Amino acid sequence: MKPIKSQSINETEIVEKAQAGDKSAIAYLVNTYSSRIYSLALRIMRHEEDAEDVLQETFILMIRKISTFSGKSSFYTWLYRVATNVALGKLREKKYSDKTISIDEPDFQSFKGYQLSEWPDHLEEKLDDEAFQNCLTMAMEELSDNYRAVFVLRDLENISTRETSAILNLTEANVKVRLMRARLFLRDQLANHLKCVGLPDGA
Amino acid sequence: MEHKHKQKMIDLVELQLGKDFNSNIIEEVVQHMEECPDCKIYVDSVQQTIKLYRTTEKEQSIPVEVSDRLFKVLNLQHKDDA
Repeated sequence: MKPIKSQSINETEIVEKAQAGDKSAIAYLVNTYSSRIYSLALRIMRHEEDAEDVLQETFILMIRKISTFSGKSSFYTWLYRVATNVALGKLREKKYSDKTISIDEPDFQSFKGYQLSEWPDHLEEKLDDEAFQNCLTMAMEELSDNYRAVFVLRDLENISTRETSAILNLTEANVKVRLMRARLFLRDQLANHLKCVGLPDGA
Repeated sequence: MEHKHKQKMIDLVELQLGKDFNSNIIEEVVQHMEECPDCKIYVDSVQQTIKLYRTTEKEQSIPVEVSDRLFKVLNLQHKDDA
């Protein structure tokens, strides 16, 4: 298998070669995208072993299904879609969702009245504080899977609304609504958890 | 200075709502936020939340051993072995 050199690479050609079963082209795609897919999986799954499972399954599926890639979207959008579906499927299988609060519930506590106190500036300076880190982790883990996926793709991966809608098979309006809800949820959960590090609770 | 402040508010609202909302709606929201300190505090704290997560949830490179296992599972030759 002759490796593909990285200079003057035309990804469309590489994908076409991979579709024809060229192993060096497949290896090139795996090498190009494995880090981003691992990072995405880690952000959605929150556990390294689960992220590795998602990574492996994603590329197994990529190899198996690359012939169905039609080029209507960019290759990475297609691959992100595969990876996100694998991740969300695994979360459902493991019933991780049971541990989260569904923000579809009408009596969802986060959206009750807002009595606000201003957050201190430069909260990021508290990031070395383990208790504060735990607050951030807990808030993220309490966000339900489908909303976390939107937040991860839009706000952490910087994927556009249009691409996120393609990846998650949602309308763009739905992506915007879910993103807004996810942000508000995280904000309100974080406000509650901030009590644990002695900051104003904000809610 | 006031114009700069207002533009910042518009940018903030657009960031939250998306840019394709009717500009009258955005103007209305901005107007409300200027008159309602609670809303401004709330929106600011949402912005802080996003910023905190962007800072803490940095993109993580794939560990070498994870990459090695991936190539092995896929029965592919790793670039470093080529």
